[in-house]
Amino acid sequence: MMRTLRRILIIVAVIVVVFPYSWVVISSIKSQAALSDPSRLIFRPTLVNWEAVIDGGILGSAATSIVVGVVTVVIALLAGTLAAYSISKWRTGGDQTRFTVLLSEMMPPAVLVIPLFYLALNAGVRDTLAAVIPAHLTFVVPVVTWFMIGFFDAVPDELEEQARVDGYGRVQAFFKVVLPQVYPGLGAAAIFAFILSWNDLFYALILAGGNTRTLPVAIASFNTFRGVELGTMSAAILISVVPVVIASFFVQRRLIQGLSGGGVKG
Amino acid sequence: MTRWVFMAPLLALFAVFFAYPFGYSVWISFTNLTITKQGQTKFVGFDQYLGLLSNSTYLASLRNTFMFVIAAVGLELVLGMVIALALHRQTWLKNVTRSVLLTPMFVTPIAVGLMFRFLLNQQLGLIPRILSVFGITIDFFGPRLALPSIIAIDVWQWTPLMILMLLAGLQSLPEEPYEAARVDGADAWFTFRNVTLPLLRPVIVVAIIIRALDAFKVFEYVIAITKGGPGTATETIQYQVYKTGFQFFRLGEAAAMALVLVVIVFIIVIIGYRRMVPR
Repeated sequence: MMRTLRRILIIVAVIVVVFPYSWVVISSIKSQAALSDPSRLIFRPTLVNWEAVIDGGILGSAATSIVVGVVTVVIALLAGTLAAYSISKWRTGGDQTRFTVLLSEMMPPAVLVIPLFYLALNAGVRDTLAAVIPAHLTFVVPVVTWFMIGFFDAVPDELEEQARVDGYGRVQAFFKVVLPQVYPGLGAAAIFAFILSWNDLFYALILAGGNTRTLPVAIASFNTFRGVELGTMSAAILISVVPVVIASFFVQRRLIQGLSGGGVKG
Repeated sequence: MTRWVFMAPLLALFAVFFAYPFGYSVWISFTNLTITKQGQTKFVGFDQYLGLLSNSTYLASLRNTFMFVIAAVGLELVLGMVIALALHRQTWLKNVTRSVLLTPMFVTPIAVGLMFRFLLNQQLGLIPRILSVFGITIDFFGPRLALPSIIAIDVWQWTPLMILMLLAGLQSLPEEPYEAARVDGADAWFTFRNVTLPLLRPVIVVAIIIRALDAFKVFEYVIAITKGGPGTATETIQYQVYKTGFQFFRLGEAAAMALVLVVIVFIIVIIGYRRMVPR
């Protein structure tokens, strides 16, 4: 009885999740005429929407998003991993440091976007990657640091001590012995941080809404300038969604450990 | 010494891209900085903040944002708990269903907003079409239902994060209290109320904080669907800041709007943190 109820609940939940996806997939291969009847399931599939969206330069926007994401994540990993180790194992700055990392992760982007916009405007870098990347660093760096604190907390302290006994210096012990232990966590943090950067609309729209459009900005533009072009919009949505959903399968398992950032021992 | 060398890159980034802009933002909120009139910028003290008190659109956006956060996070917590409990004991198709159920939280929010905008659209949407077969006409983005619809969209996207956090919490609970409850003949509901909930409390508090702080930033669904309307029914703070600062170019006023939100968020974090770590 309970088991049947549980199964029904899970099936309903899966349907609620999958239903919008399937509607977008179907819309992306419908012709303009077929789109005007949303309940029509029998139609001749067409690739015109996909051709139109690709001719419209969506792949250029995807490339911009990739560049922003990769540069942001690399910088964040370099700075965040070192600092996370220092905070986790050497208690640098006491417990307040952890809390500050968490707080900065929670900073509403509405606050930082105003000075960042004004500074970019005066420096003449508005609408370039030089404006977007620093903005993305403001939320990607804290997330990566918070994640890595959690992963380093899970590494036993004896590992570093043992390495020191074996004649390694502190820095060597970190790079040769401890760091390899958290490679899976590092990978998960990198993918998750990349997804956050890839999904950002707010900063990208305000700081680079013109020529250097990232993918979310390009998708948002289907809404405003061209009226309703449901088919091309659906294709554009899929171009943005499919890669992250695939990437998400690789990080789901480690996400919990990262999110709790050593705050809750699971 | 080494510990500070390891911290140095982070501290440098923090100072340049975080602390400095934050301080600058506070300063801007005390001026009348407007992009189109940069020459006339002057210090105005608390005028921008005082102006917000009589700005009815801003007050509406504060109220909407709070209702949004409370309703969305509340629903996500309840739904997330029910689904997490169901998944916890599940063995059948375990990995596939979990992976699929978690996907919405990774989808670009603007795409989610547009997806539902057209799914619920009167002319082109499938859901109103299905409802019309039963003779039901619902305007999902009309004055009464616009905010609830936006909340429902947030629930679709973010209940998965709740499920993820609660499920991990459930799996880390000790077995002994449950055996004791079974020996005492407690029923499922009693066990949930008196064993699961208290043990899960720290996880629930963290989950609520993480979700609530993120929900305060609601922006994409509004810009994708309602643009704050009808009237001020779906104005939110982040959308107000966007409009005031980057469509009307009044940066000073926008900065004050955003900083009020920070103060509120900060208070919530402090209260939540105190509850999480009892003294």
